Amino acid sequence: MSDQTSDIIVADKKKESLLTKKDLISAWLNWMYYFQSCYNYERMQGVGFLHSMSSVIKRLYKDDPEERRKAMKRHIQFINTENAFGSAIVGLVAAMEEQKKKGAQLNDDAFTSIKTGLMGPLAGVGDPLWQGVAIPLLIVFFIGLAIDGNVIAPILYSIIFFVLYYAVGYWLMKLGYNKGSEKILEMMENGAIKKVMTGAGIIGNAVIGGLVANYVTVKTAIQIEQAEGKLFVLQTELFDKIMPGMLALGLTMGCYWLLKKGVSSLKVILLIVAVSVIGGLTGIF
Amino acid sequence: MSVFQAILIGLCYYLANSPWPFGGMGNYAILYRPLVGGFVVGLILGDPVTGTVMGATINLMYIGFISAGGSMPSDMSLAGILGTALAITGGIKAEAALAIAVPLGLLGTIFWVGHMTINTAFVPLAEKYADEGKPEKVWIVNILLPQLTVFVMTFIPCFLAAYFGGAYIQDAINALGGDVLRILGIIGGMLPAVGIGMTLLAIFKGEARVFFFLGFLLAAYLKVSILPLSLIFLCITIVYMQLKGKEGGVANV
Repeated sequence: MSDQTSDIIVADKKKESLLTKKDLISAWLNWMYYFQSCYNYERMQGVGFLHSMSSVIKRLYKDDPEERRKAMKRHIQFINTENAFGSAIVGLVAAMEEQKKKGAQLNDDAFTSIKTGLMGPLAGVGDPLWQGVAIPLLIVFFIGLAIDGNVIAPILYSIIFFVLYYAVGYWLMKLGYNKGSEKILEMMENGAIKKVMTGAGIIGNAVIGGLVANYVTVKTAIQIEQAEGKLFVLQTELFDKIMPGMLALGLTMGCYWLLKKGVSSLKVILLIVAVSVIGGLTGIF
Repeated sequence: MSVFQAILIGLCYYLANSPWPFGGMGNYAILYRPLVGGFVVGLILGDPVTGTVMGATINLMYIGFISAGGSMPSDMSLAGILGTALAITGGIKAEAALAIAVPLGLLGTIFWVGHMTINTAFVPLAEKYADEGKPEKVWIVNILLPQLTVFVMTFIPCFLAAYFGGAYIQDAINALGGDVLRILGIIGGMLPAVGIGMTLLAIFKGEARVFFFLGFLLAAYLKVSILPLSLIFLCITIVYMQLKGKEGGVANV
């Protein structure tokens, strides 16, 4: 990867910039909004990335059709990464285009290697951080309130996520634009992210455990007739007395075990349907 | 359900899969989630509280779903939006709604694969604009054409399903009778175990595992609900990390 070249270039960037703040924000917002609008199996987010670079290309190569053409061709290439973390690539590539216009020796390969070199690590941290940690934790935090019928819960969830997501995206875009790829990679390997993931894993586990107790419902309807017409209700007189929700815990661990063995979620769902139908008809549930 | 309400519900499903109003990933985290989609459908049908309850219950199934690298295991937006719409008009309970919503989510993945395939056909046009050096035309191939495709693929089926489904679901449920509804309720009560199992695949690891049981026990015996539980464990986690830091490093994760 030709990181060093770009970093040197970015580092001794002259004070005057060819791109206005508006160009940069517009490139970033186009990325945040339309990065996956034309998501496809051939180029993934390639067309979206070209779209985000359009404002930069328009500004820098206004009077140069040949350079404009070349720039567009190098930004329509395959790219696939995480949206907010990918903002760092948008910022960095915009800075590189700016340097190229000022006369730096940057060929198409330099752009391609920067993009392909960063998209993997950024998605590797970004996807699990958002989809595996931040969204589930925020959802779980508000889901109990929502199930109780509190309409503020979905609204608050939406606002908190939106602000957090765009703040991180903007910060990374500026980091990419001002500091270059070395700083980006440094940030990704920073121990702080690992610490946050570890901590989130602990809270996540605890709250998911709480979800099992609160929202997985398995109740047996089995009653055993005893002497003198008295009924022994298995659920309330045995299971609930030992541990409320013990059947739910067993079911959840069973599903987890099957999924971990590689059984598809569709098959597990079908199994639950079958068990429920049979159990429901025979009076087990 | 009126035609107008069905149009709004179809529109809601389209928006959840479009860049507007919160951005690509913004929508995927907000409107796409049944927690939010259910609330919006509730607003449209004049009962935001029931919508929120239904949506949140359906969302239990999808907490840990991850889409990465272009794959989509299930379309939770269709499950949340259409599922809530049918549940409210049919007057069914939240657990039964979840049992109806999950197959809708599986059906919805057709749309995801379909639109990514069709989008591939737009790439040559983008190449053409690049060859001509016309950045001002990129919006046609990145917004107009793919969004029209998505609109046709999402709005029309969802609108039709909401309108006709809404008209007949009450009769269908009456015809099915109490036993079917009771069994749907049993299925819906158990299904969150699958969604939670999927979440556990991602996080049930190493030293964090014991906290899953601790959370379960606190909620099961002491009836602590989720919000206070999260706050309690936030403190426990901080203490735990501090003690661990003293022992030396956060290495073995």
